[in-house]
Amino acid sequence: MSTAGLGPTIALARAVAYKSLILRVRYAFNTVTNLVTIYIFFALLFFGGREVAPQALNDSLTGIIVGFFLILTATVAYSDLSWELIREAQWGTLEQLYMSPLGFGRVVTIKTVVNLLVAFVFGGLLLGAMLLTTGERLVLDPLVVLPVGLLAVCSAVGIGYILGGLALVFKRVENIFQLVQFSFLGLVAAPVDQAPLLKLLPLALGADLLREGMGQGTRLWELPTGDLALLAGTAVGYLVVGYLLFGVLSRKARADGQLGKY
Amino acid sequence: MNRNGQPESVVPNGDVSGETPAVSIRDLSKRYGSGSSAITALEGVSIEIPQRSVVGLLGPNGAGKTTALKSALGLVLPTEGAVSVLGVDVVAAPDEAYRHVGAMLEGARNVYWRLTPRENLRFFASLQGLTQTDERAAYHDRLLETLGLADRADDSLNDFSRGMKQKVALAATLARETPVVFLDEPTLGLDVEATRALRRRIRSLAEEEGRTVVLSSHDMDVVQSVCDRVIIMNDGRIVADDPVEKLIDVFRSRDYRISVEGAPSTVRRRLADTWVSPTELSGGGETTSFACAIPDGSFYELSDTLQAADLEVVTIAAMEPDLEQAFLQLTDGDDRGQRRPVASGADR
Repeated sequence: MSTAGLGPTIALARAVAYKSLILRVRYAFNTVTNLVTIYIFFALLFFGGREVAPQALNDSLTGIIVGFFLILTATVAYSDLSWELIREAQWGTLEQLYMSPLGFGRVVTIKTVVNLLVAFVFGGLLLGAMLLTTGERLVLDPLVVLPVGLLAVCSAVGIGYILGGLALVFKRVENIFQLVQFSFLGLVAAPVDQAPLLKLLPLALGADLLREGMGQGTRLWELPTGDLALLAGTAVGYLVVGYLLFGVLSRKARADGQLGKY
Repeated sequence: MNRNGQPESVVPNGDVSGETPAVSIRDLSKRYGSGSSAITALEGVSIEIPQRSVVGLLGPNGAGKTTALKSALGLVLPTEGAVSVLGVDVVAAPDEAYRHVGAMLEGARNVYWRLTPRENLRFFASLQGLTQTDERAAYHDRLLETLGLADRADDSLNDFSRGMKQKVALAATLARETPVVFLDEPTLGLDVEATRALRRRIRSLAEEEGRTVVLSSHDMDVVQSVCDRVIIMNDGRIVADDPVEKLIDVFRSRDYRISVEGAPSTVRRRLADTWVSPTELSGGGETTSFACAIPDGSFYELSDTLQAADLEVVTIAAMEPDLEQAFLQLTDGDDRGQRRPVASGADR
C-alpha cells in the first residue's frame, strides 16, 4: 500500500468524480430542478421584460445572460462543496473522508475541482438554453470564457470553503447560503467602472470582464492587463484565505467533537 | 494473493515491527468547554494494544467509548495525552497514521446508500489511495462473498436492510486494507443470525488476516466471544483492563443460590447474626431460596454457618459469571436479577 506519487491521487480523483457523477445521476431530480429553476427565473425575466420594457431589456440582455451564466456556475461551484460536506456529515461518511491518508485537504480540493467542472457544464447548458431562447448572439471565445470565468468562480469557491468550514462547526448554515446567493446577484451587476474598489469583491470584476469579452468580442490579450492581474490576484487570495479558514474551522470541529455530527 | 484473497501488499504493513503496539494511548483526556461548565469526557486513559489482537471496549452510555475511539483516530482532538497507531502519532501526522487504521464508526451510516456495495468498496479503497487492479477487484469480490453480499453486489444500498448496510460498511472498512480496524458498535441493530456471522468475521480478521481489531459494543456476548481482552470504561475512565477470561474469573463462583428448609422469615431471622447476607429471598411453605455472595474460598465456611444456624440445605448452585456481571459490577450496575445458576443448565 503506497500513498506516494500521483497514482493514488489520480485513483482518488477518478473515484470522487465517478461518485459525484453517479450521485448526480441517481439524484437526477435534484440536478435537473436546480438547472430548470434558474432557467425558468431567467425566462420569466426575459419574457416579462420584453413585454414591459423591451428597449431596456435589449440594451442589457448581454449583461443579463452573462450574469445568469456566472451566477449559476459560481453557485454550483461554491455551494456544492458546502452542501456536500453537510450531506456527508448527515450520511455519516464525512469522518471516513477525513481519514484518508491522502489528506482531507486533498480530498476536498479534488471535490472542488470536480465541482468546478460540473459547474461549467451546468453553466454551458444554461448559456446554450438562454441563447436559444433569446436568439442573442455572444462571442463564445473559450480563451476568454474559460480563464476569466474560472478565475471569477474561484473567488466564489473561496467563499465556499469558508461556508464549508462553518458548516462543519455550526452545522446549520442554510441562511448564510441565501445571503451569499443574494450577494452574488448584486456582485455580478456591480458597477466596477464607477466604483473600482468593488473589483476586490468576488465575481464583480470577473463579470465585468466576461461581459466585455462575450458581448463585445474583446480577446483575452485585449482586456486590461491590470484588471486581469487583479482578477487572478483576487481569485488566488479568496481561494487561499478560504482554504486556510477551512483548515482552522475543521480543526475547531475536531476540537469540539463536532466533525461527524449533524 | 494470500489465502483470504487479499492482495499481498496489505495487512499488516511490512514496514512496522511486530513489537510496535498497534495502538498506544497515553494519559488521554478530553474536556469540552472550560471553567465550572467544563464537561470531562475522558480522564487519564492509557491503553496499549498489541498487534493481531481483538480488544473490546465496553461501557454504559456516556462512558466515553466513542470519544476514546474518535480521539484515537484523531477525529476528536484530545485535550491532553498522545495517541499513536503502529508508532505514528495520530494528531501530529494523521495522514501517515491513516495508512494504518480504518474505522467503521456509525454502522450502516458509514457508506453511500445511493451506490452499490461494489461501488462503495471501490470508492473507499481509492480514498485510501489504493489503485484499482484486477487483484484488488478480486479481493473486493471475496469480501462481499464472505459477508454474504455477492448476490447483491450491484444493487443500490437504498433497498438493503439495516443489517446488510452494516455488512457493506464493514466490507468498505476492510477494503481500505489497513492493519488496524476500529469498529464502533458493529452489531448494533443486527438480528441474531447477522450478529453471529459478524462475530465469526471479526474473529477471522485477527486470526486469518493478521489485523488488529478494536471494537466497542453494548453487546457483551459479542465482546466475550470475539475479544482477547476487554477494557471497561465508566465516567470517562478505565475501570478494568484484562483478558476476558481473567475478568470473568475474578467474579467466578463467588455467588450462590441456596435453597434451605424453612420459611423466608425463619431464614432471615436465623441468619441475622451471621456474616451471610441473603438477598432475593423467595419461596414459601417449607423451602426458601436466596442468593448470597461469599468471598473466594469461603464455601465450607458458608456450609458451616448454615448448619450452625440450623438451616438444612436443599440445594446450592454456583452462579455462572459472565462478562455482563463483571461489567455491571464494575460500573455499579445492579446485576443481581440477571445471574444464571449453573444448575439451571444455562449455557453460553
